Amino acid sequence: MTTQQLRPIVSVFPIKGKVKTIKQVPLPSVFSAPIRPDVVRFVHTNMAKNNRQAHAVSTTAGEQTSATSWGTGRAVARIPRVKGSGTGRSGQAAFGNMCRGGRMYAPKKVWRKWHRKINTNQKRYAVCSAIAATAVTPLVMSRGHRVNKLPELPLVVSDQLQSLTKTRQAVKFLKFIGAYRDVEKVIRTKKTRVGQGKYRNRRHVLRKGPMVVYARNLGIKKAFRNIPGVETASVYTLNLLKLAPGSQMGRFIIWTESAFKLLEDIYGSWEKPSKFKSGFYLPRPVMVNTDVERIIKSDQVQTVLRNRRPRSRKYGKKIQRADPYEDMSVMVKLNPYYKTKLQKQKELDEKNKKERKEIVDKSRKEYEDWLYFSEEEEEEEEEGSDEDREIEVLSDEN
Amino acid sequence: MSKQVPETIKKQKKRSFNSKEVKQEKNEKRTKLLKEIQEKAYKRAEKYEKEYLEQDQKLKELKQKALKEGSFYREPEPKLAFIIRIRGIVGVPPKPRKILQLLRLRRIYSGVFIRLNKSSLRMLHFIDPYVTWGYPDVETVRALIYKRGHARVNHQRKIIDSNEMIYDKLQKYDIVCMEDLVHEIFTVGKNFKHANSFLWAFKLKPPVGGFSTVKKSFVNKGEHGNREQYINTLVKKMI
Repeated sequence: MTTQQLRPIVSVFPIKGKVKTIKQVPLPSVFSAPIRPDVVRFVHTNMAKNNRQAHAVSTTAGEQTSATSWGTGRAVARIPRVKGSGTGRSGQAAFGNMCRGGRMYAPKKVWRKWHRKINTNQKRYAVCSAIAATAVTPLVMSRGHRVNKLPELPLVVSDQLQSLTKTRQAVKFLKFIGAYRDVEKVIRTKKTRVGQGKYRNRRHVLRKGPMVVYARNLGIKKAFRNIPGVETASVYTLNLLKLAPGSQMGRFIIWTESAFKLLEDIYGSWEKPSKFKSGFYLPRPVMVNTDVERIIKSDQVQTVLRNRRPRSRKYGKKIQRADPYEDMSVMVKLNPYYKTKLQKQKELDEKNKKERKEIVDKSRKEYEDWLYFSEEEEEEEEEGSDEDREIEVLSDEN
Repeated sequence: MSKQVPETIKKQKKRSFNSKEVKQEKNEKRTKLLKEIQEKAYKRAEKYEKEYLEQDQKLKELKQKALKEGSFYREPEPKLAFIIRIRGIVGVPPKPRKILQLLRLRRIYSGVFIRLNKSSLRMLHFIDPYVTWGYPDVETVRALIYKRGHARVNHQRKIIDSNEMIYDKLQKYDIVCMEDLVHEIFTVGKNFKHANSFLWAFKLKPPVGGFSTVKKSFVNKGEHGNREQYINTLVKKMI
């Protein structure tokens, strides 16, 4: 036996008497299908094309003349002109889409592609989304249904509804359950159609009211038939064009109990396939838990993250600093030895200066001494002998 | 004070890496580290001063010795060059343009240090008309790094305002302070590549007193090409 998935419970209401829960049924899995407005829009726009009737312009329209161009030299445009004379029509322009009484540009053909094929799975996806949306009150309200006074959404009602035969009974039920406000809206806003449809047998426009979905028609169809805005549908054949009119999800639906239960069989779940649509499972959402902020901030995620790197915050701001050759404090911060170096340099300079001075003094003294002694030497020099000097004598012999 | 605090924020505050204690601990560690770095910086600067002096003296001795013997002392070929781009970006042919890009000389008056070897000398040959280069001495290297040294930090150009910045990036290459950086660049040590790439390309000012003519080479009374030790005087004018 398969284990039942834990599903929320929906109340079933009676059709008369007191508005209170007579029974409780589990919510079918369809209502947890992903709500995809993009899918519904795509399928709806294509599905809506499928009940179109072919129309076209007559193939001969505008071509039933033997008009020829007059050519150049006649001070008229070169468009083909109707031959002959004796009538106002003669000499008039013909054939062109710009001409009065001419054929249109690209005359419409019957073999235009009127209908659209849609993938079956896409169609089913859209229907599942649309059904799920009918249980979301904000969506139903935003579609424009008056659902304030309802006891619950989705609204499930006992199967006795299916056996109603009289319209009076149906209206009484709607008033009882709080759905008549939506019907009143429809009645109130019935208008003459804007546009040419009004004289093409589509004179009035009505809003959409509640939709009643049943499992077995035991008179219910006829009972609700004449109530403006109310539509009935069998649960086996739910139509997207009715579930999401104008591709706007969130139709107000009143389900009968057996119809509601049958949804589980018709659309299946993620574990069990549908009994009526072979091989069909409910579509899976891309994300199961869409509260991304909560996921990120959860303990399970945060404890596993590595710590923020301090590096990037450290050098984030613009750093300003003075020139170290002008500001001593900056220099010392970069090179703590600098002050000592300057001191040593200073000492060395002084030492060198001192040594230099000594050398200079010494050499000056030597020079002065030499000067003094050389004066004495000069006097002696004048009496000196030639004996020591060796002179090479150039003789005639050589 | 009965304000409702959202649960997520309460939880966030509880988690360890946001708490006050952790922050305090981090701060203490940091101040201790900064102190260590400054101490190291002092000692190493002292060491390097001695080293530079010794190198100079050694060179002098060898020269004098050779002179006495009547021969010549052939100095070892320079390992380090400083290149300055002295022409703009308009009308540069593709090959020199690419080489200038590779050397990070992307704008006029930008300067970089480069290790001299056969490959880099070949590259310099191609870009000679667009640059001037030479062999900087210690004081030039120092002045450049202290005054105009910017670090490449987090893909950004940030002025070097403390030794901590250098430590963060280059600690694994045993470079922890400015003097270390200067030493590594000047002596072209083992980790020259990393020290050099730590530095953003130097952005210098146009020279005080101007150029003679950039179109001619330095040898021909112009400005471009190799100017050996005269790069030092030029940098002084441009720094």
